[in-house]
Amino acid sequence: MARQTSTSTSDEILSKLENRLAGVLKPIRPSKDIVQRLRERIHFPAREDFTVRLRDWRQVFLVFGGVMSGMLVVITIARAFFHLVGRRHM
Amino acid sequence: MQEIEFNEDEVLTLASQGDRDAFGLLYERYVDRIFNYVYYRTGNLHDAEDLTARVFQRAMNHIKTYTDRGVPFSAWLYRIAHNLVANWHRDRSRRQEIPLDDLPVLQSKGDHPERNLVHSQEQDALLKLIRRLPGERQNLLILKFVEDMSNAEIGLIMGRSEGAVKSLYHRTLLALRDQLGDQNINLEGE
Repeated sequence: MARQTSTSTSDEILSKLENRLAGVLKPIRPSKDIVQRLRERIHFPAREDFTVRLRDWRQVFLVFGGVMSGMLVVITIARAFFHLVGRRHM
Repeated sequence: MQEIEFNEDEVLTLASQGDRDAFGLLYERYVDRIFNYVYYRTGNLHDAEDLTARVFQRAMNHIKTYTDRGVPFSAWLYRIAHNLVANWHRDRSRRQEIPLDDLPVLQSKGDHPERNLVHSQEQDALLKLIRRLPGERQNLLILKFVEDMSNAEIGLIMGRSEGAVKSLYHRTLLALRDQLGDQNINLEGE
């Protein structure tokens, strides 16, 4: 009986504590200014621009590297061709 | 702010394809909740604003990798927020207390000023106790009371089962009750 009373008291305390927590931990609404500032920060982040630029530079290097490699292959084939043709004429 | 009705799956698909307007809709829907969460975890408006921005920036940068495997988008956002807040706490040598100026004003108009003052002091004390709890327990209380989530929803965010959340919640209440008792804070003052 005593244990039952103690349990119900404990439950009551926890219930009161829950009510208190509900009173303290209430949702707050960020001001319109904050929401707007956040929106601007997220839509125009400096880091994002930088990443895009970096991505552009990577593309430029890839294209440049590709063109250079291609040119080397063409020059090598041309040299080999002229070497062979030149030998035949000699 | 009125919540705009839209199909979240469709908007998520568009956002993951780089559509910033679609991401803007998701931002509108979740910014308040993430701000609330971060605010209660950090205790000040400035850091809450900064971290909320970082949560959405990170979400925007990684939304292509977000795949719906039964985890709602909101849970994914909260996890990002949780990680950033954890890093924020790690970077600080000591935890900040909530500045009084930043505390949300929760007084009702009809109350007597003296009663409000006592009530406010008790709220401060309770908030301080909450902020001394381990991060996981703070998360649980914030998600339960501020975000009004069920144990199952909290479990999805915290990566725990519903039963584990329930058990953790009960242990958290017991711990808070004991600490309130140690500090002679009265629970009858409602």
